[in-house]
Amino acid sequence: MTTPSTSTLDYSAARAPVRDDLRETHVAMLEHLRQPGSWFTGAERLALAAESRNALACPLCQARKASLSPEHPAGEHARVSDLPEALVEIAHRIRVDPQRLSREWFDRVRTAGLEEGPYVELVGVVTFTAGIDHFCRALGIPFFTLPEPAPGAPSHYAPANTRSGTAWVPMLAPEDATGPEANLYEGEFVPNIARALSLVPDHVRLLQSESASHYVAMAAIQDPSVRRDLDRLQIELVAARVSAMNECFY
Amino acid sequence: MLLRVSGQMTGADVDMAAVNGHVSDQAGIAHAAELVAFTEAVMGTDEAALETTRGALRAVLSPEAFVDACAVIGAFNVVDRIADSTGIPLDEPMVAMTEEVRADLDLARFRSSANTPSG
Repeated sequence: MTTPSTSTLDYSAARAPVRDDLRETHVAMLEHLRQPGSWFTGAERLALAAESRNALACPLCQARKASLSPEHPAGEHARVSDLPEALVEIAHRIRVDPQRLSREWFDRVRTAGLEEGPYVELVGVVTFTAGIDHFCRALGIPFFTLPEPAPGAPSHYAPANTRSGTAWVPMLAPEDATGPEANLYEGEFVPNIARALSLVPDHVRLLQSESASHYVAMAAIQDPSVRRDLDRLQIELVAARVSAMNECFY
Repeated sequence: MLLRVSGQMTGADVDMAAVNGHVSDQAGIAHAAELVAFTEAVMGTDEAALETTRGALRAVLSPEAFVDACAVIGAFNVVDRIADSTGIPLDEPMVAMTEEVRADLDLARFRSSANTPSG
């Protein structure tokens, strides 16, 4: 797949009516992944996406997942890219064992030399890939083929006015969003999950689009009358069960 | 944890034990057992269970609602990983609204609770 489009994504095996907004989000995600970002090239982002997917079959990840300690046994990850081992380690951990990440782990990542901007970009790439893969698995269709990378260099863009201290990574508060980020957030209530990726504003835009098509628009999350063909209680039950199985407190 | 909040605001009597996989006949949510079983199978590795639970869910939901369920599973596998890897706190409006349910479900047992300040 060179350029993702709604005609190149095949949902037919599901024999189910996949909405146009879902299809458009999936195209946007794959297109986003193949483009150069703030800190990584398109090829590097796709390598991170491939590592996110590859982590599911990584023997080291499986052994660690079954271990009392998330960092034992020692060893090397099975890899499908030539990314530095440190990036592979982070990508695999976030995909396979996110519930046992810790502030101490994050501090070691930073001490090892990965800046906050690239880290946030990596988080977005790995997690968007996880989301689209889980959708495919649930629907009963093969994972989408990752596209070819688009040429170009990273922008090295970071928004002004981000602040540290609330989360592990600096975030852009809605009241500080100016200039190119003036319209970054949707609605009056901006949950921390939207702010979390704000060091990479295009990740925020994609996350909001993904939320609107796959769950509920972030601006409407607190409105219990918003529903789809599933009613809101059913939506929230599925969401809560996923988060419980992921052991996610947030 | 918007499930209880949604239940309260819509007048539904929701059995929150379903969140931990304990679905009773009085869960208060239509097709809760099928939704939970399917969600668990998607999150697991048993392919036969996934096929079985998918079929069971599709038997009780419209095709459109089945797609909705798949989409929500995808969405929260994004949300959870972002939250866990960035250490964001609970949103302020949710702290008080969900205090009781977080205690009832013993969500503090999750290791990730240490990373997510809740006021």
